[in-house]
Amino acid sequence: MPTRLWNLLCNLKLAIWLASVATVLTMAGSIVMIKYPKTFGSIDQMILADWFARFGQARPGLSWWLWLVAGAVLLLGLNTLCCFFDWLLRIRARWRKSGEYLIHLGFILCLGAFVWGSLAGSRSEGNAIRVGESLPLAGLLPGHALRLDTFEPVFVGGQFSDMRSTLTLLRDGRELRTEVIRLNHPLTEGDLIVLPATFAQEAEGFRCDSPQGSIELRPGSVLRLPDGRVLRVLRFFADVRRGGDGRIYPVGDEVNNPAFELELLHPQDGPWRGWYLLREGLPAPLTAAGIQLQPREPLLRAISVLTINRDPGAELAKIGGILMGLGVALALLSFYAKRRRGDRPELD
Amino acid sequence: MSPALTTVLLSAAFAAYLGATLLYLGHLKWRRPGLAQAALVTVSSGLALQTTVLLARWLAAGYLPVTNLFSTLFFFSWALAACYLYFELRYRIRATGLFVLFLNLLLLGAALPRDPAIKPLIASLDTPLFTLHIICSFVGYAFFAMAFSLGVLYLLQQRLGTDLFPELPLLRKLNEEAIFLGFVLFTLCMIFGAIWAFVAWGYWFSWNIKSVWSFIVWLFYAGMCHAKFIKRWQGTGYAWLSIAGFGVVLFTYLGIGLLLSSNHPLD
Repeated sequence: MPTRLWNLLCNLKLAIWLASVATVLTMAGSIVMIKYPKTFGSIDQMILADWFARFGQARPGLSWWLWLVAGAVLLLGLNTLCCFFDWLLRIRARWRKSGEYLIHLGFILCLGAFVWGSLAGSRSEGNAIRVGESLPLAGLLPGHALRLDTFEPVFVGGQFSDMRSTLTLLRDGRELRTEVIRLNHPLTEGDLIVLPATFAQEAEGFRCDSPQGSIELRPGSVLRLPDGRVLRVLRFFADVRRGGDGRIYPVGDEVNNPAFELELLHPQDGPWRGWYLLREGLPAPLTAAGIQLQPREPLLRAISVLTINRDPGAELAKIGGILMGLGVALALLSFYAKRRRGDRPELD
Repeated sequence: MSPALTTVLLSAAFAAYLGATLLYLGHLKWRRPGLAQAALVTVSSGLALQTTVLLARWLAAGYLPVTNLFSTLFFFSWALAACYLYFELRYRIRATGLFVLFLNLLLLGAALPRDPAIKPLIASLDTPLFTLHIICSFVGYAFFAMAFSLGVLYLLQQRLGTDLFPELPLLRKLNEEAIFLGFVLFTLCMIFGAIWAFVAWGYWFSWNIKSVWSFIVWLFYAGMCHAKFIKRWQGTGYAWLSIAGFGVVLFTYLGIGLLLSSNHPLD
């Protein structure tokens, strides 16, 4: 019985049947994927286990084929593994097939790596980080954080071309390494991979003309006036509305109705604090103090938006890929050698 | 190289392939070895012209310019001509490659009316992995196209039994070789694509329709590489599988690229 089972598991016809079943099921499934983008549209944004938990289980009528594909491919993997071991047992007689069986081993490793990554990995998109800020990676890599040191969108001929983020990976506050990431050049650390996804800009203040010249006002800016008074910028919002109670409420990130919260300090008088809505003009206490400001343009700062994934199977997949590459090279060599010898499958 | 010169040279290549097709047809009818020799020279000239255009465009662009429908049709046609020449020089298949030449005329004919202007490379394609992925993919496709042609010819020869075409054992041998070489190249294409996907997207297998169908193509031909060891599938079965497989390839390349939204758009 064990021999029969082993022979079945090593059976070439079984491999062809399983490959055919997986092919046909995947073909059919791909049509379902196209027809139901709401269910399958986010399948690449999360690992397969999470997708099954969120979407697959909720729509069993649409996801059943994936179970069957998984079953067929896993059985094919088992069949391939058994064939590989069967070859190993007879390697002295069949060493010329090394290339073909390296492809088998590479496929098994890639399949294992995919299963591992699909169960134990994680994917996280839309991680916005500003220059100087740190982003804790608690859910992905406990004790680690990413700090964005610099960010530079690259434009060539006025067209967006690339984005360069200088990222420092920190562990318990200590710097592990710093790397510049850009398209096709991610930061990797173990099974963690950090990629630039996109970027955004947000207004952090305003450039204004004043009798002292052009000045940049952003939270923390200090303007020293000739009479000893000091104007401090406390806060800036790109878009605000004045509520019925007279208070100022931020409403969005688009520069629409920008406002500064300012503080005017005087050596003798008490401080004044209030809001300067740029569309409304300077508040009376500031004009009375002789302050003149003419808003010119918003001061923009970039936000790098990162994709942060973890794939514990990636290294295994890399080994699998290398083995497959070596396998096809060896198989190619042995193919031509065999052709020279006239050694090929029997004819009809 | 200006778009106008590109069009002129590619039109000349098209004329060369058309001439070669006619010469091979003449060879089939009159059995003059000189005609087959002339056809070989003509095909070689067409490939030389296409290679010149390809290299000039590559140098001018600074990257392998295979990023839209024109350039993929052109590159596929180039790969197919190179693949045909490989079989012709190795096995002297002569008019056996007529189907491939017809297919090549279709591909190049479809490319010619399109705009050959080279567009600036988008940053995500700016990696050697793109070049390797593209070359392996299209040369692999070319071998699958060759296998398709040989499969059709095998079935024809089985029915006609004519001495115009090679004997069935040779056709079968050529078909198996085309499938094997196509599978080897397509495997490399998948490996380079997976590495690229990992550094570009953070995962090495995508459920995008193009990636799924590329996996289907790989699985199908992997199955074919095994099927040649099963007597029942040798010869006729293999010929039918070669034809079906090329249908899958065409859908993966053109069907998805033109009809569906994917991460491999053609235009």
